[in-house]
Amino acid sequence: MNAAPALFGYAAVVGTLAPGVLVRSRWTQRSPSLAIGVWFALAVTFSLSLSLGALNLAEPGAHLHGLVYSCRAALGLGPSADDTLARAGVAFAVALVVAQLGSFAFHAVQARAARREHREVLDKVGRRSADLDATVVDHAVPAAYCLPGHRPRIVLSTGAVDLLTGAELEAVVEHERAHVLGRHHLVLSLAHALSWAFPGLPLARQLRKQAPLLLEMVADDHALRRFPRTTLATAMFTMASGEAPQGALAAGGQTVLVRLKRVLGPARAAHPMLRCCVGVGALVAPLLPVLLACPAGLG
Amino acid sequence: MRRLGELEAEIMDCLWKWGRPATVREVVDDINHRRPVAYTTVMTVATILYNKGWLTREKRGQAWLYTPVRSRAAYSAALMEDALGASQDRSAALVHFVERMTDDEVAALREALRSTGRGEL
Repeated sequence: MNAAPALFGYAAVVGTLAPGVLVRSRWTQRSPSLAIGVWFALAVTFSLSLSLGALNLAEPGAHLHGLVYSCRAALGLGPSADDTLARAGVAFAVALVVAQLGSFAFHAVQARAARREHREVLDKVGRRSADLDATVVDHAVPAAYCLPGHRPRIVLSTGAVDLLTGAELEAVVEHERAHVLGRHHLVLSLAHALSWAFPGLPLARQLRKQAPLLLEMVADDHALRRFPRTTLATAMFTMASGEAPQGALAAGGQTVLVRLKRVLGPARAAHPMLRCCVGVGALVAPLLPVLLACPAGLG
Repeated sequence: MRRLGELEAEIMDCLWKWGRPATVREVVDDINHRRPVAYTTVMTVATILYNKGWLTREKRGQAWLYTPVRSRAAYSAALMEDALGASQDRSAALVHFVERMTDDEVAALREALRSTGRGEL
């Protein structure tokens, strides 16, 4: 029996229906790290189903163990694959993997280059503040951001330093430190890579939209371990409303609103039982296409 | 051994602070108040800054007089524009604390805070 229809169907469900369900779920805001894990588990599941589906279409009975054999066959190293459909299937599966890895490498390298350029100027213009463990730049508009990755920097504008109290500043720095320590920039690069590899796919589009917000929530939670909720919330509100800027605005206001409501709302992580179920689901989802393909290979 | 970048920053800092063209000797003397640094090292790094386009220079007698190409404020403004600009691909390079909000969004936020009983913010 050919498992290709089942695999493609599974990919379609994961790629188009699952994102909607996840976006509407309430628990994601209460356990943002788990939610990020689930988003990427869905992405892996989608790619795997699509690749295995293509292989099965080309060679009914192909499965993951057969992948190496198929690749060799396609390259003409092993026993030759006799028809072009088989070669096309293998080529598609390989191209899928290469496109995603290549896209990730491209986005990560590009972001890294932009950060290096920025840091070069920052290190000359800014002044180190040992108290805050941050670099302060003369600028009236309140701003706080980080340059993650190699030789990271946390940056505050003098506008932000003037506007916020000492504790609020420390809370902001703690939030940025979470981005740096958690290597959040790599997660963002992965999300970019995926939306580049699968343009228009609801899963990739939603992942790209949700990942930044969920990472902010992770960083908020990190800051809340050391600072009271009101301190972080006041800092957020003051920074976001501080000065009416000129020109184009990123549509980020809604993001702040969601985060603020969350920070001030009742503190509770998602129920352990729910978290456990979701975690298991995230692990099983990518295995399902492999299981779907394997019995077909044995049969 | 200190990083090259640190010495670059120190040289720029001196020139911005003084707000006038200066020779390598003057910069070396200033840094020597805090720590020993070789004349040739500062000269090399000043040449690097000149080649990178941070400094201009003109010959005065035997020595070069160095001047920053742009003011510290001009660099700061460009830096912040780079960081806070609405560029699409910025999110992976720099991670913000919060995005700025429009007046309408601030009003909506105040309303939301009031409804959670935290209107004093």
